[in-house]
Amino acid sequence: MTHTPTTPDAATGEAEATEAWTPRIVAFVCNWCTYAGADLAGTSRLQYAPNVRIIKLPCTGRIHPLFILKAFEQGADGVLVSGCHPGDCHYTAGNYHARRRWALFRRLLEFTGIDAKRLFFSWVSAAEGQKFADLINAVTAEVRQAGPFDPTNPARKRPWT
Amino acid sequence: MDLATLRRDAAALLSDGRARLVIGFRERAGSCVPAFVTDAAGAETLVYDDTCTANLAAYLRKPEIRHRRPVALVARPEVMRSLVLLKAEHQLEADDVVILAVGGDTYHGVLTIEETERLLNETYADLAPDEAVLAEIGRIEAMSPDERARFWSEQFAKCTRCYACRAACPMCYCERCIVEKNVPQWISTAAAGHGNYAWNVIRAFHLAGRCVECGACEAACPQGIPLMLLNTLVAREARDQFDAHPGYDAEAEPVVGSWNKDDDEEFIR
Amino acid sequence: MKILDASKLSNLAETLAGAGYRVVVPVEDGDRVRYAEWTPDATIRTDAFPVNSVKEFLLPRSEVIDRYQLDGDDFTPVEVSPAAPRTVLLAVRPCDAAALAMLDTIFNWDYEDDLYNARRAATTVIPIVCTQADAQCFCTSVGGAPDASAGADALLRPADGGARLILEPLTDKGSALVEAAGAALADGEAAPDAPADVPVRFEPEKVRAWLADNFESDLWDILSYACLGCGACAYACPTCHCFDMQDEATRTESVRLRNWDSCGFALFTKHAGGHNPRPDQAARWRNRVMHKFSYIPERFDLLGCTGCGRCARLCPAGMAMLEACTRIQEEARKAPAHES
Repeated sequence: MTHTPTTPDAATGEAEATEAWTPRIVAFVCNWCTYAGADLAGTSRLQYAPNVRIIKLPCTGRIHPLFILKAFEQGADGVLVSGCHPGDCHYTAGNYHARRRWALFRRLLEFTGIDAKRLFFSWVSAAEGQKFADLINAVTAEVRQAGPFDPTNPARKRPWT
Repeated sequence: MDLATLRRDAAALLSDGRARLVIGFRERAGSCVPAFVTDAAGAETLVYDDTCTANLAAYLRKPEIRHRRPVALVARPEVMRSLVLLKAEHQLEADDVVILAVGGDTYHGVLTIEETERLLNETYADLAPDEAVLAEIGRIEAMSPDERARFWSEQFAKCTRCYACRAACPMCYCERCIVEKNVPQWISTAAAGHGNYAWNVIRAFHLAGRCVECGACEAACPQGIPLMLLNTLVAREARDQFDAHPGYDAEAEPVVGSWNKDDDEEFIR
Repeated sequence: MKILDASKLSNLAETLAGAGYRVVVPVEDGDRVRYAEWTPDATIRTDAFPVNSVKEFLLPRSEVIDRYQLDGDDFTPVEVSPAAPRTVLLAVRPCDAAALAMLDTIFNWDYEDDLYNARRAATTVIPIVCTQADAQCFCTSVGGAPDASAGADALLRPADGGARLILEPLTDKGSALVEAAGAALADGEAAPDAPADVPVRFEPEKVRAWLADNFESDLWDILSYACLGCGACAYACPTCHCFDMQDEATRTESVRLRNWDSCGFALFTKHAGGHNPRPDQAARWRNRVMHKFSYIPERFDLLGCTGCGRCARLCPAGMAMLEACTRIQEEARKAPAHES
């Protein structure tokens, strides 16, 4: 397990705001396309930012919006959701279902105070190793720009003191 | 409102067995509360005015109410939509309900679900959301993300997780709600912080394309949280993006459960 | 006697806050009034019934009762000793003060709850006599009164047609508070206003007798039809105290939380094996009424309800403990004389 450059505070678990802050990004990706694409980026020795934690799911259709909320809740500064291009879903239509959910959920998140700049969606196929690397670099740069996710944001604020 | 005819119709439904229970409203201490009438004489207590904010379709969730079907319900347009939508979601059969349809100051009479659907499409096809709610949504959309976060932080801090919003909503009929799932515990049950955020946001999302904007949830909230801001926003998006008009077509596919290959994906990289 | 102008109640609050009290008062919040911590911009309202009870200041909605620091596979218990600031519940309704007897009893019955007790010991209770009541009030039916001093350390009485308030200390805590109030109170005379007229609506003994014989009655179905099974009444109720325990964690900390719970929820009594002894709302409503008017009186010689009427005012479905009791009493009158 890679060593995270930030030191979580023992009492709160929050990242201390030091110059060493670097974005923590969670990526929910589908097994058949984006995960394979990420793998290809690796085997092709493409360099990309190390800030993303990948969570592999069988299909983007498996993603309940709660996963996105949970990531922000538990410490993510940004969330990426990525899967197969429309028409290429291994389970035929999982990504079509996901697309509708995302279209609505992102508006709700934006309305309730999660900056749209922190939430990313993409289609990355198994052959798009370069696209994956470029995407991670872009997402990381944008989240770095947005700064650490505010621990007092209602989606993150711990329910106890 | 022709209450006399409404009462007479309700009594007749019970006398001749077309309904075994009439759910309407009665007066108590100056406002309307739900009434459950099982005998014709009781129909005299039925009233209706604009304090009748409860969505009576929520009662069809209760087994003890369903056991008394056919059930007659006093229904304003939003409640009629709830009934048609419940049928579309296979939660009730046409024979389960009889509708005592009201709208504004008009009593429309005794209708079947099919007739109700027709009435909705002919007379109540353009139910506009509350102007004040739309204005407030506009005000919030114009805020910065931080301002929005502060606004909702303040609102959600009031939530005690009493789930009156869920109880009042006819579309919240899950026997085991997402908050009751504890392996894993997706949503913190503590009445503070991210637990309150997740509860209110996920409930709004679970209603996407299903909310008929009846306002019963906001009316039920003991803390006065402006829930209709969330629900109206999601309903607007579902309507604008996916042409969602829940409750006007008993054969319609669920909006979030279906898809179109040409759905917008401008936001997807 | 110690008096103050009714319009100067916020001065009293300010003085007490300055003296180190956390001051809880009924404040205006939009179109409603709620008990909240006093702040200089708060508008104190004694003319409306607060939507919440004061129990949240003694039994928080959610509180940590166990805490551990986590470090990989190691964990270290951390002592839990939450703040119990010196608090005054100022200008609360007498029915809210009377309810504290129930909470004091239940949190010292089979176990002395030191979290509750610490906060309780640090709290001074000052009810204000009610000079108005509404259709949902029924304190007089359950052994209370609009000018009752049960649970009070001092009593505020409206006087001189509402223009003044008399502050009457009743206990040592009350006297200490009067002293801390200093110049916010004056010495003088005032004529107490008449308390509200709250007609008696039912007799708890008659309700209790009917409850003892009618566990299986069909009336429970009828009484509970409207109930939608939320927690609004239990959470607003000043005597309700049931809680749920939840364990939650981050990577570095784990806590056990005590959260408010409601017997109205469908899963309240669901067992791990799947069985639910209260499977429908009728059974759950029956439990609620019986707890307040049968089980609690039997066990503790106390009524589990102080007649505040909050449940009725905010139930989205029109349920009301008052209505349940008057219905039961009506039913009891119909029944033939009980042969025992």
